[in-house]
Amino acid sequence: MRVVAVSSEMLTPYGLGTDACRDNLFAGQTAISKLNRFDTSAFQSNYAATIEGLKYHQKDSLVMQMLTALFGKSAPIPADADLIVATTKGEIDLLEKKILQGQKHMFENSQAAFLEKVALLAGVNTKGTLISAACSSSAVGIARAAAMIRSGRSDCVLVVACDSVTEFVYSGFSSLMALEKISAMPFDKNRSGLSLGEAAAFVLLMSEQRAGKEKREPLGEVLGWGLSDDANHMTGPSRQSEGLIMAIGKALSSARASESEVGFISAHGTGTVYNDAMEMRAFNSVFKDKKIPVYSIKGGIGHTMGAAGLVEMIIALKVLREGKIPPTVNLKEADTEAEGWVSTEYRLIQKNSVALMTNAGFGGINSALALA
Amino acid sequence: MIAIRGMGWINKEEYICVRQNMPVSYKDFTSFDGLSRTDIFSYTFKNFGRLDEVSKLVCYAVALALKDAGEAYDSNRKKDMGLIGTNADGSLQADIDYFRDYIDSGRKLSRGNLFLYTLPSSPLGEAAIHFGLQGPVFYMSSGQTSLLPVVRAASEMLMLGETQAVLAGMNTEDQAAYIVLVKEPALGQQVLCDVSEALPVIEKGGSLREMAEEFLLIKKGKHPK
Repeated sequence: MRVVAVSSEMLTPYGLGTDACRDNLFAGQTAISKLNRFDTSAFQSNYAATIEGLKYHQKDSLVMQMLTALFGKSAPIPADADLIVATTKGEIDLLEKKILQGQKHMFENSQAAFLEKVALLAGVNTKGTLISAACSSSAVGIARAAAMIRSGRSDCVLVVACDSVTEFVYSGFSSLMALEKISAMPFDKNRSGLSLGEAAAFVLLMSEQRAGKEKREPLGEVLGWGLSDDANHMTGPSRQSEGLIMAIGKALSSARASESEVGFISAHGTGTVYNDAMEMRAFNSVFKDKKIPVYSIKGGIGHTMGAAGLVEMIIALKVLREGKIPPTVNLKEADTEAEGWVSTEYRLIQKNSVALMTNAGFGGINSALALA
Repeated sequence: MIAIRGMGWINKEEYICVRQNMPVSYKDFTSFDGLSRTDIFSYTFKNFGRLDEVSKLVCYAVALALKDAGEAYDSNRKKDMGLIGTNADGSLQADIDYFRDYIDSGRKLSRGNLFLYTLPSSPLGEAAIHFGLQGPVFYMSSGQTSLLPVVRAASEMLMLGETQAVLAGMNTEDQAAYIVLVKEPALGQQVLCDVSEALPVIEKGGSLREMAEEFLLIKKGKHPK
């Protein structure tokens, strides 16, 4: 059973819409700027990529404000669609607010309430499932949705992903010394950390049969997926990259595609020293001497955590349709192991290429998607 | 055929390897934390004391499930086995602990070792490291305390060949249960029951302990259906 994407949209620090994101990435513009949402004086950095106009610690959480804007202008979602929501921290700002207000009673079943709100906003009848797999949350959500369709359990799944920049998350990443002081520089030899970002996105996946029946033009296809764990360290990636190599192998096998069919790689590319090196080791191991064009969008919109994979998938599908990949924003001088793979310029790709997308997260969680 | 090869369940007083029907009441001879020494794990769990409570529960239940299934494990000899967990509230308690601690420091100092557990998938990550599980690892929730979503996802993953075996389970505040699922067990391999027999029991709900007892009745051919 083929799994196709028939509709998608995103809200990123560049604004609403996939074209806004694509245009800014191709222009080499970064949305990472000084952060004014909360006091950052105690932290490693005071930069992040945030979405304009969001109100912090108000009635609605940041992610619900994002999702309201996202679904406000999108075409209707079929009411019978199954729902998967991918996030790392969801409405964590609501909990922050309660703790800051000194409230003793913390709400239970917050996940159920969040799922209900997203379902209502999207206009679907299902209760939905929340997926959390650190910074691979989106990719795992897409993989689960595709599995539901491929196995015949569903013929239509809406995948929604979101995460926001909050004091909770920012202070945590700062405590782990993971932040770049100013603006993340994925794959650069002078990179030293990630920049946090926020985003919300959705993709509607369907079986090819249902998409055909409803006369929907596919935006692209989820050919395959591979998930793995390093089983090595909670916050640091494997020094041998064997987890990501395994995930890529599984994704290509699931897609029934060979390494030679891969036309480009949308990398996780956080800008941390260890993540980017781990990814390049994996790419070198899988593709050997063939240097496949690689890019990361995190120098543009920051690391949007649980939303990262979905934003990256939508951009990758656009790249496949338009035939050129964006430069890696903020890249100045490629690190030795990334030389010849990444670029400061846009590049053309061959027709009928397979796109490979990789993500990784705390707990050693790796994911790879093969798209066409 | 997807089979359940074993199941482990634990609360703050007792634990059981379900297929082997070996219940142990431990409250009279050791503490919850004390179980980490020799009773449950087949080798020392490095830095067990720094894990949060949910991670400890999950790791105990996973160890019991693997033991029940007769699956040897070694963090140095990793295997392609997945791990999916669920609960009702994600990492709510860890979230509260982390942010209160940060606020108590005057919003100046945040602790990475508390932040780490504010991801609902972190207890699974800890288990993956100790048991050497290299398959897919993720947390999922339908907002309810039910094994159903994780067992369905695990079955699907096995049917589609995503991994060779999957541990699927759930925890509440004071108990956890995990089961080992495999596709077409090898000849002569003991199983607890078939997933198709287990699903009606899981759908019915009830406590994890009752569920374990019903699985055992299925194994013995005494389940009323």
